[in-house]
Amino acid sequence: MTAADEAPLLVAENVYKHYPVRGGVWGRSVGAIRAVDGVSLAVAPQRTLGLVGESGCGKSTLGRTLMRLETPTRGTVMFEGRDLARARGDELQRLRREIQMVFQDPYSSLNPRMTIGEIVREPLVVHAIGSRTEQARRVLELLGTVGLDASTIDRYPSEFSGGQRQRIGVARALALGPRLVVADEPVSALDVSVRGQVLNLMLRLQRELGLAFIFISHDLSVVAHMCDTVAVMYLGRIVEEAPVEILFARPAHPYTRALLAAIPSLDPRRRTGAVPLEGEVPSPIEALAGCPFAPRCAWVTAACREDVPALEPVETSAHRAACIRRAEVAAAPLPVSGAPPRAPGASP
Amino acid sequence: MRWPRLDPITRRRLQRFRRIRRGYYALVILLAAMVLAVFAPYLAESRAIAVWYRGTLYLPTFQYYPMRTFGQAPPAGWDSADIEADYYRLQREWGTERILYARGHSAAGADPAALAALAAKYPDRDDYVVMPPIPWNPYQSDFWANEILNDIQQALDAGHRDDAEWLALRDGLGELAAAIRSGRIDTLLAAGKGHPKRTLGDLARTGAMVSLAGLGTSPPNAPDLRRRHYLGTDSQGRDVAARLLYGFRISIFFALFLVLTGQVIGTIVGSLQGYLGGRFDLVSQRLIEVLIAVPFLYVVIVIAALFQPTFWLLIAILSLFQWIAITFFMRTEMYREKTREYCLAAKSYGASHFRIVFRHLLPNCLTPLVTFTPFAVVGAIFALTGLDYLGYGLPAPTPSWGELIGQALQASNRDKLWLTLAPFGALTITLVLVVFIGESVREAFDPKPYARYE
Ligand SMILES: Nc1ncnc2c1ncn2[C@@H]1O[C@H](COP(=O)(O)OP(=O)(O)OP(=O)(O)O)[C@@H](O)[C@H]1O
Ligand SMILES: [Mg+2]
Repeated sequence: MTAADEAPLLVAENVYKHYPVRGGVWGRSVGAIRAVDGVSLAVAPQRTLGLVGESGCGKSTLGRTLMRLETPTRGTVMFEGRDLARARGDELQRLRREIQMVFQDPYSSLNPRMTIGEIVREPLVVHAIGSRTEQARRVLELLGTVGLDASTIDRYPSEFSGGQRQRIGVARALALGPRLVVADEPVSALDVSVRGQVLNLMLRLQRELGLAFIFISHDLSVVAHMCDTVAVMYLGRIVEEAPVEILFARPAHPYTRALLAAIPSLDPRRRTGAVPLEGEVPSPIEALAGCPFAPRCAWVTAACREDVPALEPVETSAHRAACIRRAEVAAAPLPVSGAPPRAPGASP
Repeated sequence: MRWPRLDPITRRRLQRFRRIRRGYYALVILLAAMVLAVFAPYLAESRAIAVWYRGTLYLPTFQYYPMRTFGQAPPAGWDSADIEADYYRLQREWGTERILYARGHSAAGADPAALAALAAKYPDRDDYVVMPPIPWNPYQSDFWANEILNDIQQALDAGHRDDAEWLALRDGLGELAAAIRSGRIDTLLAAGKGHPKRTLGDLARTGAMVSLAGLGTSPPNAPDLRRRHYLGTDSQGRDVAARLLYGFRISIFFALFLVLTGQVIGTIVGSLQGYLGGRFDLVSQRLIEVLIAVPFLYVVIVIAALFQPTFWLLIAILSLFQWIAITFFMRTEMYREKTREYCLAAKSYGASHFRIVFRHLLPNCLTPLVTFTPFAVVGAIFALTGLDYLGYGLPAPTPSWGELIGQALQASNRDKLWLTLAPFGALTITLVLVVFIGESVREAFDPKPYARYE
């Protein structure tokens, strides 16, 4: 069964998020940072969509735009046919209950002046769900779900480790009973030894609660462990999208190949002299004439500098890439042969 | 002490503040002074705290009683119902009766008729007046230096030598009392060649009797414990200690009100600037820059020239400028704090802007507010004192440190040291206390030990 078989939970079409660059005393707009530049994607129920890419490519901005933490400059975000990008008032509040977020930094994502109980209860208070005692019971239940003791309820975030805090963040995200959780690099700030625990907690919750995830990461080994489908972002655009096995086996975009080659390996036989990514990321402020990856691409041809390539299918309709030489790239042997890498600390 | 409902950051800051002794004790002293200032009518007031008069207890602190109530004789030409009882005098008179009765009692021996006559003569010997430690209100002029000599002079002129002697003893004029007893006073006052009969005032002025020196002069008078002017009187004969106390009361509450309104407005404006950002921030920031360029002293002087300044009018005028400084700090705090992920989290579950600002962000942005408030209080006290000194502050009879400093700096008062020391001393002590508190708060709130945001 693939994602395309079911009605998707969330569909984003042509989403743009441009940040104006302001200047002068009155802050006139003198340009724009094209943080998200025409992204379309779909998330199927109970599936995980991975979002990978270099730092600054717009992953977080896309995640926040899908959550309506930012209003998209253009484009639509539909959650089960309801337009999240334009919703207001009560409609927006109802939609917010469906999508929640787990944040990257467990040290700043919890208000240091609130107890764990208050933090996890806040969403229930905001949405006026249940009486005080019902809320208290629900908080205990949520803490149990993420594997925390009931005694944590009256303590403050500063008394907990990063991994425990991230569990608290997960409990807060689950409080409203969402069906989609956007996780923005949920383990990248954690100690390697506890990453696996948090990832496995998320997988367990996905199974038990039927959650869909948008999983943002720049760590491909984590993505391989967590995701069903992966979208690779470059300079605000999706340049390749494929089911996880296909992406690791037959990447069809030179940028994806470069990312895969950059995964560090502990196995000396799998260390390669593959070309790492070279060159500067072009500024997200100017729109480029041709393919934005062309200045750094090893496969570049003259045709690349003419038009921005669109996402087109490679072999199957589930695998799409934005490269005019996608067939050649997919067919070329990988510098590293073998299975996709394992997430550290992940149980088989 | 335990702080059950405080978050750990605040708790640790409070603990650290308590450990900085200097600031902690300064705070305790200042708070105690403020509490005392609230009870100023029991500390410095011409009304007695309590009067026990012929079997009834009176508590006149907040109650008007005419002279008649206690059988006092009004000054000539006045009805005793129209004039408030003079409690200080009452205390002196009843004290006198007590002592004279005791003297008469030992003289009368066991003669019942003499004892009955004595009891009828001194009916108030068992009545008492409890005066505040400073038995003066800040508005009342006391020309005591003249009055004492007048009273004794009257007793002498009426031939009541016993009374005159006793009054002299009671007011600590031992040399005069001895002269009255021995009769030497007659020769001192007698008319001689080329001069008419002298008065006690003449004796004081010419220095013919050393212990009278300083009496018979006009105010300002030096500190005098017998008369309970612990810090002397000002040029209108008003008690300096009472005026300092009430001046403190006015300036500290003025400063607190002013800083409170200023910080509330500044916090709201600054928070909105930082939280909303964008156009609102830009436009309001330009307006604030315009306001900063307005010379505030001139504005106050112009307004004070048009209207009679009152406590609340001055607060209103100064508030116009007081709120600006804190906006800068709150604005940057909000800019920093709103990008933290807990704020995004609150947004993601649909918390209202109001809830985000006041429940989530503001408690994390209070550091500048708390650390700057003590210094703002110092500034406000200075501002009021300065305006009072310049004459644009609170109107004339209001007790005020600035007005006292003004008196002290007058050329004719240069040698009246108490006039200089009292207000400057009070100002210095208050400011040092507040600065100690401010420094300690800043030290306790220093974020450096919390380099890691927790
Ligand atoms: N509020 C904002 N205002 C202006 N520019 C922004 C804003 N947020 C993000 N950007 C810009 O948008 C681009 C994408 O940023 P984003 O945080 O989405 O990247 P990212 O892929 O999440 O990177 P990382 O892996 O480092 O988290 C960056 O160039 C960033 O500078
Ligand atoms: Mg990011």
